[in-house]
Amino acid sequence: MSLLRAHGLTAGYGPVTVLNGIDLEVNEGEIVVILGANGAGKTTTMRAVSGTIPRSGAVEFDGHDISRTSPDAIVRHGVAQVPQGRGTFPELSVEDNLRAGAITRRDGAGAVAADLQRWFEQFPRLAERRSQRAGSLSGGEQQMLAIARALMSRPKLLLCDEPSLGLAPLITKELFEVIERLNREEGLSVLLVEQNANLAMHMASRVYLLETGRIVASGSAAELSADDTIRKAYLGF
Amino acid sequence: MELFLQRLADGLSQGSVYALMALGLVIIYRGTGHLNFAQGEMALFCTYVVYQCGEWGIPIGLALPIGMIVGFALGAVTEVALIRPVAKKSPFAVFIVTLGLFQFLNWLDGAIWRDQPLPNSGVGSVQQQFPSLFPSKDTDFITIFGADIKLQSVGVFVLVLALTGVLFLLFNKTKLGLAMNAVASNAESAKLVGIRTNMVLMVSWGIATAIGALGGVVFAGINHNVNLTLMFTVFIYGSAAATLGGFDSPGGAVLGGLIIGVIENMAAGYADEWVGQQLKVGVAFVVIVVVLLVKPSGLFGTAKVERV
Amino acid sequence: MSVPFTLRSGGPGSWALRLAAGAVLVYLMFWIPTQASNGVIDTCITALTLMAAAMALNLLLGYTGQISIGHSAFFGIGAYTTGILVSKYGWSPFQTLAVAFVVAFVVGALVSLPALRIKGVYLALVTLSLGLVFPQLIKAPKMEWLTGGARGLDKTGFKFTKKNPTYEIFGWNPWGNLRGENVKPFLYWIAMIIVIIVYVVCRGVVKSRAGRSLIAIRDNETAAAVMGVNLAVTKGLAFGLSAALCSLPGCLSAIRTGNVTPDSTNLTVLGAITFLIVMVVGGAGSLWGPIIGSALYVFVTDRTGDWSDKEAIPAVLRPFFGWSHTPPGSGIFAVVLIALMFVAPFGIVGMWHRVIGRFVKVVPRPAGTGTIDAPATAPAEA
Repeated sequence: MSLLRAHGLTAGYGPVTVLNGIDLEVNEGEIVVILGANGAGKTTTMRAVSGTIPRSGAVEFDGHDISRTSPDAIVRHGVAQVPQGRGTFPELSVEDNLRAGAITRRDGAGAVAADLQRWFEQFPRLAERRSQRAGSLSGGEQQMLAIARALMSRPKLLLCDEPSLGLAPLITKELFEVIERLNREEGLSVLLVEQNANLAMHMASRVYLLETGRIVASGSAAELSADDTIRKAYLGF
Repeated sequence: MELFLQRLADGLSQGSVYALMALGLVIIYRGTGHLNFAQGEMALFCTYVVYQCGEWGIPIGLALPIGMIVGFALGAVTEVALIRPVAKKSPFAVFIVTLGLFQFLNWLDGAIWRDQPLPNSGVGSVQQQFPSLFPSKDTDFITIFGADIKLQSVGVFVLVLALTGVLFLLFNKTKLGLAMNAVASNAESAKLVGIRTNMVLMVSWGIATAIGALGGVVFAGINHNVNLTLMFTVFIYGSAAATLGGFDSPGGAVLGGLIIGVIENMAAGYADEWVGQQLKVGVAFVVIVVVLLVKPSGLFGTAKVERV
Repeated sequence: MSVPFTLRSGGPGSWALRLAAGAVLVYLMFWIPTQASNGVIDTCITALTLMAAAMALNLLLGYTGQISIGHSAFFGIGAYTTGILVSKYGWSPFQTLAVAFVVAFVVGALVSLPALRIKGVYLALVTLSLGLVFPQLIKAPKMEWLTGGARGLDKTGFKFTKKNPTYEIFGWNPWGNLRGENVKPFLYWIAMIIVIIVYVVCRGVVKSRAGRSLIAIRDNETAAAVMGVNLAVTKGLAFGLSAALCSLPGCLSAIRTGNVTPDSTNLTVLGAITFLIVMVVGGAGSLWGPIIGSALYVFVTDRTGDWSDKEAIPAVLRPFFGWSHTPPGSGIFAVVLIALMFVAPFGIVGMWHRVIGRFVKVVPRPAGTGTIDAPATAPAEA
């Protein structure tokens, strides 16, 4: 069943249009990866979905029309975004960052505390630094914090914008394993933007190829890597 | 020693008023990075409202909450109707709007309540003096180490400490406080975790103005009357306090206010010939310039704040 | 965008318009002191005072983007320089203008030193506290021997005696009577000369290379520094010059009323705020903005000055203003100011440019050439 469906999604910055009417779909339980070069419009796609920039076209999430919904309301519908560059609250402690992630929840302090415990177990390095300011964490730790914070809202769909950016390969691998495990064990749907095709293709249920604001190819990871032209032109292996 | 203690007590009670003003400024600044130049005048309007309540025979214990609620509404409406729409254009436009609001409220107070100190039997005031929250007769004092400390000074100081405690709990133990902290830290990300940033800013302005209203009422109580220029110097002292404490630190604002109140009274008292009552306001000027030059983030502020 | 009319800057059409506007201004300039009543002349002097102060502030805020809510202090420096020199040392008021200019320039340049590191609203805070300190400094006991304390100084204007000559041109006398019978036109001309001086200086600075440095600083300080603008010197000069110019209307106020007190409106923070407000309402960053804003402000406050008396309010407006215990002038202007920020952040002049832009296309003369047949560029937005 389709969880997120965008049709003719167009967005940009001021007079500049970056996305030219793309169609996009994420089904429940899928990890969908958007690949593309610098400037292809990957981050813009994420922002258009999460509502942080003006956009036009139809966006539907879980049966709700969210094409005119404000970003904070979209979060309350169950979409959590890990923005590019992590976007943690640098002056707040690690624990407060996570609590802020759960701020939209209405299921009581007990459930939130339980989730807090759970993510501290999942990411032991965050647990060690729970009262430290988020700004003092390393890049990898901040990325984990950003993901954990997004998960604190118990989202149905997780948007991840280039989580590997600026991270050591080992840490990136660890991060992707966590995402994959969440997907496998919890059925979390994920929409992931990546430049690192090689890495992301492994866990993708489906892949979109984005070029200058248009989707030029889509399909399962296997289909796309089987196509020689696409593989050479876009995937680089 | 007695003189020193008395001056200390006076300084702390006046500093408490500055602390309240600074708290309001800081709460608004944290959320939006705007310095609200109308803060003093918004507080003054509420102070006049409290005076008016007194004229209608409402006791101060009830009039104060009314004034603070009016303050909350005034702040919230200002943010939504005046600040938010122009904030998109430029910070300069926000500055001008707060200045326009300053002028407008100052005019409005005069238009409604005339430009003379109130209460005033000449214009038919029922009250003898502006209602004080604490016993304020000449005989109301306690003696500590031989110094006669006014009960009013003690009361004001305790009030501010209590309020600081309440705000500490608000900021650190409630969802609203968490949301305010998150918006202050990174407004974009705050939206991405589902915080209604607009609501948070509106409430911040409301709380800030309500605190300002409390400050105005307390100060008018110390001063025995309310008048159109009452808050000019309080605003500048409050700004100096916020600068000293750091514009993004509520705790710093309180401490900054108390420090400035004490410095001011000590300077006026011990350097009477040079500073005296007239040049007390020079203390604020010196503190603002020195702090901004030497340590722009203040004593407790974070350095990330860009001073542009 | 097609517009009905095209006007070439420097072409015959634009010169004709300029001449016509100039003629109207000169006519008005002479009509007021010769034909208008003393009351009107007095109001005009008030307007001219405000104009000079607002223009001086505009040089700083409109062109370098540095906010000052303390220009009342520089106004006050002018008033007190004239006051002290005339009343205590018997100088002629005219001589004191130069001294006030220098004193205010030095003080302004000193204030600009912290301004190099303190920007935006923080500078506003510093200047605001300066504006609050100034009247207190005047009243301080240690200063009383010089400033007269809270009582102020008197006999700070001209001494008009029967011995003064009259300067008639074939029986026509636009300067008034200097024997003390009709001195308003004389004061009017002093005010007018000060306004013209301030305008010419501002225009000279703005249109010069230095002016372009100022605008560069306002728009992007770092970029300006990279392009070789010396920030410290340029800002210091701008601040000093702005302060010096602002002191001149201060001198005028001392000359005009014959006394100086620390609590008169233009010397307090309320005065500084008024300078700022009329400047922004007229149009910050344009030469004519402060002039138009000041004229409008004085017109409104003058017309509504007696409105605290209900009977004085025109019957149509009585329901709206009848409740007020004070004249509504400053309140009206505050509302106009806030409203303008919503619709036209560049004030009345900016709004005018926008409206006129729909009908007339002004083709600017290309920089560095005297010819007018160069390719037309888009009109610069104010």
